[in-house]
Amino acid sequence: MPKVTFINPDESRIELDIPVGTSLMRAATAHGIDGIVGDCGGGLTCATCHVLVEDGYLDKMPAVQANEDQMLDFTAMGRSPCSRLSCQLVVTEDMDGLTVRIADPQL
Amino acid sequence: MTPSTAPSRLPEPPVLDVDPFSDENIENPYPFHERLRETAPVVFIPKYGIYAVGRYEEVRTVMSDYARFTSEGGIGMSDIRKPGAWRTPSPITEVDPPRHTKIRGAMTKVLSPLVIRQWREHFAAEAEAVAERAVARGEIEAVRELVEAFVLKVFPDVLGVDMPRENFVAIGEMNFNQIGPNNELLQKSLERVEPILDQYQKSFQRESMLPGGFGEKIYKAEDAGDFDKGTAGVQVRSFLRAGVDTTIAGIGHTLNLLASNPGEWAKVKADPAKLRGAFDEAIRLHSPSQVMFRTTKGEQVLSGLRLEDDTKIANFLGAANRDQRKFADPERFDVERETAGIHLALGVGHHICIGQMIARLEAECILGALVRRVERIEPAGAPEYRLVNTLRTLERLPLRLVRAA
Repeated sequence: MPKVTFINPDESRIELDIPVGTSLMRAATAHGIDGIVGDCGGGLTCATCHVLVEDGYLDKMPAVQANEDQMLDFTAMGRSPCSRLSCQLVVTEDMDGLTVRIADPQL
Repeated sequence: MTPSTAPSRLPEPPVLDVDPFSDENIENPYPFHERLRETAPVVFIPKYGIYAVGRYEEVRTVMSDYARFTSEGGIGMSDIRKPGAWRTPSPITEVDPPRHTKIRGAMTKVLSPLVIRQWREHFAAEAEAVAERAVARGEIEAVRELVEAFVLKVFPDVLGVDMPRENFVAIGEMNFNQIGPNNELLQKSLERVEPILDQYQKSFQRESMLPGGFGEKIYKAEDAGDFDKGTAGVQVRSFLRAGVDTTIAGIGHTLNLLASNPGEWAKVKADPAKLRGAFDEAIRLHSPSQVMFRTTKGEQVLSGLRLEDDTKIANFLGAANRDQRKFADPERFDVERETAGIHLALGVGHHICIGQMIARLEAECILGALVRRVERIEPAGAPEYRLVNTLRTLERLPLRLVRAA
């Protein structure tokens, strides 16, 4: 199972084994990672599962679709070039070793 | 394509000779939903000459695969492009991508999560006041005295539209009857709104927008070229149509389910953060918007069945949300089920409810204000459902609110 590391705003790290086909948002909320809110459950309407993809992995992520692109403009932290909404990052084998930093604030 | 899978060789959906919009099936839709799901992945309903789907996967596909199932024929039963039924399409819900993408983007800007979060303080203050009055009364009819008292105050406030309560209710019934067939329910509701129709039309015009509301912002966005000229009024109307009745319905169902499931109430009382799950679970079990339509774009194959071109498909969201293929023990109200983003009550895909964060904020504020004040809520009489073609909502919900010691 691919391993994904989340870096909390306090710099602590959590490593999760996430089954292929599960989104980072679902995995994070299921494991009680508080920094990922995910209010709308992946409907691209809340922008509260914002993460910053660490170096080297951005091009392994699925392409940003129009709806995600629109919502990224309205994250509480503000957008950076490595911003993604983690509900759209559905885990593939390719993503093994991925590290994402949890945006702060989400609300 | 091999001959054996050529669409013309595939079977057609079986006939299900039922009227989903009979009074009996609206009052209690669940036996019909079960027949719909268990008959076949797609059925044909001869009374209306439409297809219907009620299983989770098929509803999800038809609702979101716009290349095969268009919204441009209208989201109701009649095809708005055809003579006799023609009307102006909604400039957001009845447009497919890629045109829809730009419009949705402009609306996202007006109604972004950052904008909605600024309303929290106002919503919370109103919720506290409404909940305090209701709890002081002890025994209430919760639809009017709690849910409408709150939603019909805060939503028009932020939209910047002023309309009397009776008008909201009558107009809402008309809208959700119109998504269904032209039956007696629709005719009666059209008669009821006749005297207030002019006033309603005026209420979403530019000159009626109250300063600071998002209705005004929609007009300003039109001026800035974000929306096509002349469409702002219809956009504002879309929010009146989509955002009021469904939210009232969803909060009403949540209260009803919490009152009749003391074990689940105990969980939200102990941890009010679970109210979010309670709301999603309530709209899964009693989906306010029960059915939405799409139209086939060319001959299509769905789950091995051949569908004709240019034919309406009824997506029974309420049926999909009780599909045991997707949800274990689907009839059980479970505030810890975590189905936000999985159930289809808010739609799915490009047209997923754009105002859902407003509805969620409203639900969180009013239910939170209540749960903090009361030890428990109890049924104080049988709930009654309102007869509307495509809206599942409570007409009456008598409750006893037992104040926390």
